[in-house]
Amino acid sequence: MNESWKSYTAGSFFDELITPKGQPRAAARGVVRLLQKLPGDEMAERRAAAELAIREMGISFTVYNEAGNIDRAWPFDIIPRVISAGQWQAVSDGLRQRSLALNHFIDDIYNRQKILADGVVPADIVLESTNFKPQCMGMSPRFGVWAHVCGSDLVRDGDGRFRVLEDNLRVPSGVSYMLENREITKRVLPELFENYSILPVDDYPSQLYQTLASLSPRERRRPCIVVLTPGIFNSAYFEHAYLAQGMGAELVEGRDLMVADDNCVYMRTVDGPVRVDVIYRRIDEEFMDPEAFRPESLLGVAGLMRAWKAGNVAIANAPGSGVADDKVIYAFVPDMIRYYLKQKPLLASVPTWLCMREKDREHVLKNLDQLVVKPANESGGYGIMVGPHSTAAVRRKFARLIEENPRNYVAQPTLALSTAPTYIDDKVEPRHLDLRPFILQGRDTWVTPGGLTRVALTKGSLVVNSSQGGGSKDTWIVEGKA
Amino acid sequence: MTMLSSVAERLYWMGRYLERAEDSARLVAAYNHLIMDIPRAAELGWDVLIRILDAEPLFYQQYRVGNEQNVLRFLLAEQDSSASIPFAVRWARENVRTTRDVLPEETWEQINELHLYVSDAAEKSVGRRNRQAFLEEVISRCQRVNGMLSSSLPRDHAHRFLRLGHLLERSDMTTRLMDVGTGEILKRDGTHEAIDPLIWTSLLQALSSFGAYRRMIGPLVEAQQVLEFVFQEPLLPRSVAFCLAEIRAELKPLNNHEKVMRTLARGRRKLGKLQPEHMSREALHAYIDEFQALLADLHDVITASWFQPDTP
Repeated sequence: MNESWKSYTAGSFFDELITPKGQPRAAARGVVRLLQKLPGDEMAERRAAAELAIREMGISFTVYNEAGNIDRAWPFDIIPRVISAGQWQAVSDGLRQRSLALNHFIDDIYNRQKILADGVVPADIVLESTNFKPQCMGMSPRFGVWAHVCGSDLVRDGDGRFRVLEDNLRVPSGVSYMLENREITKRVLPELFENYSILPVDDYPSQLYQTLASLSPRERRRPCIVVLTPGIFNSAYFEHAYLAQGMGAELVEGRDLMVADDNCVYMRTVDGPVRVDVIYRRIDEEFMDPEAFRPESLLGVAGLMRAWKAGNVAIANAPGSGVADDKVIYAFVPDMIRYYLKQKPLLASVPTWLCMREKDREHVLKNLDQLVVKPANESGGYGIMVGPHSTAAVRRKFARLIEENPRNYVAQPTLALSTAPTYIDDKVEPRHLDLRPFILQGRDTWVTPGGLTRVALTKGSLVVNSSQGGGSKDTWIVEGKA
Repeated sequence: MTMLSSVAERLYWMGRYLERAEDSARLVAAYNHLIMDIPRAAELGWDVLIRILDAEPLFYQQYRVGNEQNVLRFLLAEQDSSASIPFAVRWARENVRTTRDVLPEETWEQINELHLYVSDAAEKSVGRRNRQAFLEEVISRCQRVNGMLSSSLPRDHAHRFLRLGHLLERSDMTTRLMDVGTGEILKRDGTHEAIDPLIWTSLLQALSSFGAYRRMIGPLVEAQQVLEFVFQEPLLPRSVAFCLAEIRAELKPLNNHEKVMRTLARGRRKLGKLQPEHMSREALHAYIDEFQALLADLHDVITASWFQPDTP
């Protein structure tokens, strides 16, 4: 056995590749056997090859700090994460169901608000949320779909059961890294692919194209689709360019677009203005249109909301979709599924205490050292307190924050996140991970086979965000037995 | 398929910077060759290169003397000086980074590799030992990108604007290269004329055109004939005449091209007026300066016509 694997033990958490007895799980057998049989320094050599490929392919992300913006190479672990196709099918069905219900909810909120009238979701938490945009009232986008691209974060608990941790409905990112991770693995571990039937992921850009094209207000063979980016300094710019290229769409910044007197959106081209049908928006709605939202925004396009409301352009995700992307609303998603779809939720979620409820708050304050406390409205892992890893001072600070603004905090039990073998320095060690699949919804619904696996590279850490020292792994959905 | 004005502009600059990187490498390589062949008394200085590139103010902000070490550091290793090879490569890369979606997939990878190579190797290449190998590698990597683009980029706007930048830069750099030979810039006041053929030969080599010259003109390398060949030969891809004709062909299918076409026509008329046998070194040098000003005008009208369109 390769030296680096010798001391591997899965520990007390659910391990994705290795059973508690130290044997590879069925779906992962081929991967583990091959890697364990690699001679001498080959693990290190393959990792070096991956790093070189990442440098050459220019896969990077941007980190902001006091020193300015740094373009960093994408952190990648060469050992893939393997999930069997049978298991994945159930997860995929659950994600589809969730996305349908969430879109029903958003459409309902900006129109009849039935779910509020029926008391299934308390009206005040929706209408008083900063994510609720009154500017969107009365809009009814095509197919009743608002969140066309949803990135849901999944974790596996101690039993290996998948649970949804949150739904990102505003401008979820990461999908390009999912695609590039597969490219890297193909380059550095080509022999792994010989004995496996792995569901391909490179279909994503064409699926995204079809989803967006189905939204076009004009019936055209090739609608004019643009990807709207805040620009080169955005941390996900790499992805914006990648997806535009993958779809054969124009990558535009606000200054490339304008809204004319006819309330249509045009892009400035070398042949004069050209009308735009669909905007894949990768800029926060707050900055999207200085006329409708923040007047000081230089990134947006004045009049975009006007054009959207007039039905002359489709925007994905629709402005206002964020109303369902809130950690308080999250707690009600199972109820939404029952309410709109008359179905039982297929995918487990995480028990959530809402600090706005007196009883829940008491429980949270009493058990701060065991819970994870999250602000309702942040993303990227910011402002979170992990109880068991916190100091008494931090807990006191959070207790105060909760008392001051209970609506803004939720708490969940600290999950025993699953681990997978990860190559750290010269040893393979267990590290915690999550999974972000992407769900596309337009005329049809489609779920990525797998998604982006993010891994916390620091021992024992549960924070997987790449901006905070997280890495990533290629994620395989494999058919049959290897 | 039309193209965003902002993308067209970046492609145009990508074309310019990539060509500038290659031509700067050619310029330095040619001069490097030349200087080893020249008798010491001729006193060719390295500062000539700075003058040719119109970089004197920038250079003398940082350095006191225009000696070999300083000039080469300035042109080969200085990341932030706008006349350096790393600078041109960095901006070619930056422009590809923001236009990846309209270029073949390999473009980014290749330009990125070029950038990595230059950032790693530039510092070590200031000295004579690694210099030539570095310059040759830069030239060949630039050619690889150009070759890949010319074999896989559809002949639409992307290709057109890239090529406009590429051709305009090439015309400009070729005229600058010829300026080395006019002697005015070498300040040789008529002495050491015996080294003239050496100079012109190395200039032709810098343009990869020495073989073509021998076949098409003959084995004797003479100033007047070289100048005619490099400015006016319609069949030579690095000649100014060839570049302007290609620019014209690229402009033709574009909307709103009238102004640019008029400026280009001025350039082509000016090109016809070059008669090296009747011109002194001073007159030749002045002619080249005027020609470069004309190319700058051409750049300005291209920018005004397609990159900064009025808001309708």
